[in-house]
Amino acid sequence: MSNLDTHLPNIAAGDPDAFARWVAGAEFRVRASLTSVSGSVDVESVVQETLLRIWQVAPRVEPDGKPNCLLRLAIRIARNLAVSDLRRRRVRPAVVAALEAQPLDDRVEATPPDPMLRTAIAECREKLPGKPASALNARLRGPGTPDKTLAVRLGMKLNTFLQNVTRARKLLAQCLERRGVDLENELA
Amino acid sequence: MTAADERELLIEQVVAAWRPENQDGGVRAHPAWHDLDEAGREEAATRAMRARVMEAALDPEGLSTTARLVLAKIRG
Repeated sequence: MSNLDTHLPNIAAGDPDAFARWVAGAEFRVRASLTSVSGSVDVESVVQETLLRIWQVAPRVEPDGKPNCLLRLAIRIARNLAVSDLRRRRVRPAVVAALEAQPLDDRVEATPPDPMLRTAIAECREKLPGKPASALNARLRGPGTPDKTLAVRLGMKLNTFLQNVTRARKLLAQCLERRGVDLENELA
Repeated sequence: MTAADERELLIEQVVAAWRPENQDGGVRAHPAWHDLDEAGREEAATRAMRARVMEAALDPEGLSTTARLVLAKIRG
């Protein structure tokens, strides 16, 4: 098991590069911890808010002797944010209760990048046709930009832009499947 | 456009990392997320997970668009 807390001293000292290395290993575990409420909470916004809060609180975190204390804290923060959001929107109390009753998985494991997967995706991405490739590339290069703006930059209507991104994803998935890459296994 | 087409477009918007901000800088849910039913929201979350895995695998630093967006905010 890799211990992402090796980055904690530098993160606490305000090093964003160290935080980037921690996020690269932690994001998917935090995201996966919200799967049970993905029908009731916008997981993406909770994950982003969690990562921002971890950056803010990291200087005050005291390691507890077990590995990945910062990741365990992130999972706890993500759950609390989800619960707050559910309560604020008055979502069915049963959903909130189920989330609160769910045991926190203490056996967290960081996910290292897979170089084989990277090669397969890069090769499949190169085969994408023009417009789907342009739309997907715009999304990848401008994650902080709304789709409407990205579409205008590409001279597309919003719906056309979204259709092209969807098509790009489907073509990528089909290409990866032909190469024997199962993203579900990568997520496991 | 069919209802299925419209649902697909809503899901694709939610899969993106971009999110609006509150007045205090907090991250808000995507406007399209509110227009999806529970099954659509779950589908969007599943696709977003797959998308982030692919993005991180392609990135030299192993960062997804979510990660790069958050880091851009931190770095100002």
